[in-house]
Amino acid sequence: MATFIFRRLLLAIPTLWFIASVIFLLSKLMPGAFGSTSLGQQEAGYYSRSDATSREHNYRQFLEATGQDLPLFYFSITSAALPDTLHRVFPERDRTFLKKLSWQYGNPMAATHFFRSLKEFEKVLSDTERLQIQQHLFSIYSHQEHAELRQALSDIAQQLPARSAITSELIVKGDTLRTDSSSYTYLLPSLQWHGSQNQYHRWIAGMLKGSLGTSLRDGRPVTIVLGEAVGNTWWLLLASIVVAALLALEMAILMIRRSGRIWRSTLLPSLFLLDSVPLFVLAMLLLVLLASPAFLQLFPVYGMGYYSTYDQNWLQQTGQWLQFMALPMLCLVLANLPYLTNQFYQAMAGVAGQDYIRTARAKGLSEHRVIRRHMLRNALLPVITLLSDYLPTLVAGAVIVETIFAIPGVGRLLIDTVLARDYPVIVGIIVIAAVFRLISHLLSDLLYALADPRIRAQVS
Amino acid sequence: MKKLWHIAREAWQLAPAFRLSLLYLILLALVALALPWLPLAYGPNELDLEQIFQAPLGWGNETNKPRHWLGTDGLGRDVLANVLYGIRTAFAISLPVMVMASLIGLALGAIAGLFGNHRLRLSRSLLAALLFALLPFTYYGIYLPTMLYSQGAPYSDFLLTGTVAISLSLVFVLVSAPLFRRMSFFNRTIHFPTDELLLRIIEVQTSIPRLILILVLAAIVPPTLPALSVLLVLTFWTGTARLARAEMLRIRELPFFEAATSLGFTQRRLLVRHALPLLLGPVLVAFSFGLAGLLMLESTLSFLNIGVSTDLVSWGRMIAGIRTNTSAWWLVAIPGAMLSLTVLALQTFSYYILRFLQHKK
Repeated sequence: MATFIFRRLLLAIPTLWFIASVIFLLSKLMPGAFGSTSLGQQEAGYYSRSDATSREHNYRQFLEATGQDLPLFYFSITSAALPDTLHRVFPERDRTFLKKLSWQYGNPMAATHFFRSLKEFEKVLSDTERLQIQQHLFSIYSHQEHAELRQALSDIAQQLPARSAITSELIVKGDTLRTDSSSYTYLLPSLQWHGSQNQYHRWIAGMLKGSLGTSLRDGRPVTIVLGEAVGNTWWLLLASIVVAALLALEMAILMIRRSGRIWRSTLLPSLFLLDSVPLFVLAMLLLVLLASPAFLQLFPVYGMGYYSTYDQNWLQQTGQWLQFMALPMLCLVLANLPYLTNQFYQAMAGVAGQDYIRTARAKGLSEHRVIRRHMLRNALLPVITLLSDYLPTLVAGAVIVETIFAIPGVGRLLIDTVLARDYPVIVGIIVIAAVFRLISHLLSDLLYALADPRIRAQVS
Repeated sequence: MKKLWHIAREAWQLAPAFRLSLLYLILLALVALALPWLPLAYGPNELDLEQIFQAPLGWGNETNKPRHWLGTDGLGRDVLANVLYGIRTAFAISLPVMVMASLIGLALGAIAGLFGNHRLRLSRSLLAALLFALLPFTYYGIYLPTMLYSQGAPYSDFLLTGTVAISLSLVFVLVSAPLFRRMSFFNRTIHFPTDELLLRIIEVQTSIPRLILILVLAAIVPPTLPALSVLLVLTFWTGTARLARAEMLRIRELPFFEAATSLGFTQRRLLVRHALPLLLGPVLVAFSFGLAGLLMLESTLSFLNIGVSTDLVSWGRMIAGIRTNTSAWWLVAIPGAMLSLTVLALQTFSYYILRFLQHKK
């Protein structure tokens, strides 16, 4: 059994690695890094320049601290029209401009030179001078034709005769850019080797050491952020799956009995009906009906309460926890009941026609005994695999329920991080979801062996 | 096709629930198509800030405006108009997505089921050449067009990279395949494990719950409808593929199929003429079940306001409006009922088709 489990674990690692890597690389390839909007805002800096430079400095420090100024992967294949040091240019607005410039003129060297002298020129400008030539700067940043660039540069040189040294240099760089441009450079690929100093290498090395990086939002380690959230979700899921499975089992037994005709004709259609109500509609309905002052206010509405739990014993704590968890649990149970009951019922109906059931009945055993002792054990086997396949769906349900009832669990964390684009935490959640699936598979194997003595004999 | 038609007619005659659900779906389609000609007083995104959170059939309006029959939400948007236009959005997203996902799933599943792990033989040199040609194709066919698109290049540039991509990959294959064949290692044929490959891909993809995968990917791509549709297609094809594969494995063992194989028909003819008609029934069932799931997922996403823009008219968005005022029950009851009824109708429809299909067997 141990070797079997070990093999399962070994097989799961490549899958986990693949998915986490894909999500990580995809998240890095997309524009709009975290914090670029809040930390790197330059627009507000036209009137408060010291503020802008300090903010830029902070942003650069933040990027260096989180390793975001490194290249993404071990190697990169880019177009030859792009400069190879593009990943070091920050903020993102400048990077896009440099990219556009060098793509437009097909000459990365000249584009980088021009870009640098433009940045130096902007640095020495005073506020009044900047206001004076703001329009021309704008046309440099957004020009489409080569002539527009030349026009804007010569206009700037005319308007600022005091700074002739630096403007003439700018004009020279602009002229080289225009004369040395070539239009089809982008067709050539260029391969660069970055070595192990890259973001992916750092991330995967951290993963192997058990650290998932730090959250971009508050700088805390991802493992701690996840650890705080995972407890709530775990207990919510465990409690609701146990309740739902037991309820479904009892309902299936009610329906399978010979006298269960009336149950069959009422329960099955109502479960079918319940199955077509989406989980979030169900949750909102329950919230409106049972937790809003307009109707019945039986349950607290949101969150987990603000009361301190230090001076309470475990019974009180559980009581309070239940008070807040009752409605979310009810939602999950109701949403999963139709599927589970149906599967239990189908499994038991498949067994009910077997010979040994008839034998058991012929022996004169009571209906209760026939069902619980003879039918259940055999019907349980397919149900176990099914339950383990079903657990991940439940996780998806937890996302919705936690968001609606504001429970600080993994699901709510996922929604928050997705909205904030806090990628390290997102990757961490993906890893947790995959691990959860792995655990459910292992659990089903173990339960299978428990329920069926034949398999136990086979494996050992 | 003919068989499916018979099954539908039989179900129509024998099962009143099937009749009811089909009628409901047809009615929905008619309403969605006839929307521009319906006499609606308000548009779905029209704000009426004087009358927010109006209850349905409210009598208290003193202004001279037309009445909000089903009430309004927190910004005074008309619930009736939103619910009706919501039908449009729901099906405009889920129908094309499900069609695409079904086609992809059907093709991949049927091919994997037909060829199995041993029936497709490829020479190693060709396989290596194809992999090799993938490099220029990715650069010129995928990377450069995305860069060109982001820089707003003219059409002629796209045409140029397109031709370069195709011609260069062709040249790579034609030149490198004979070169590879010279080496003894590549000069053998191997079984291409089609089935195994498909199963692995499906396993990797389903190891993350679908909703979580979509939420995560929606954080990465921009919140537009085409991007969301691509995401949904990419996550929904697995169900149909699995089903088509299993059905194909079953069909492959049937006597008539073996007869057709022994007659020496090409694999393509076997697939299209002999297997596909039998596959259509199960795929139709999977299609309408999947459509119901997709409707629920789409409204969940717009409820969570992830992956869709806020001006997209949707049942989910209307339901999300109740979070600011939990006493406005009509915001959850009316769109929720529409959503549930549509899902119920689709599920009833597929349940009966499935039952009559199994009955036929």
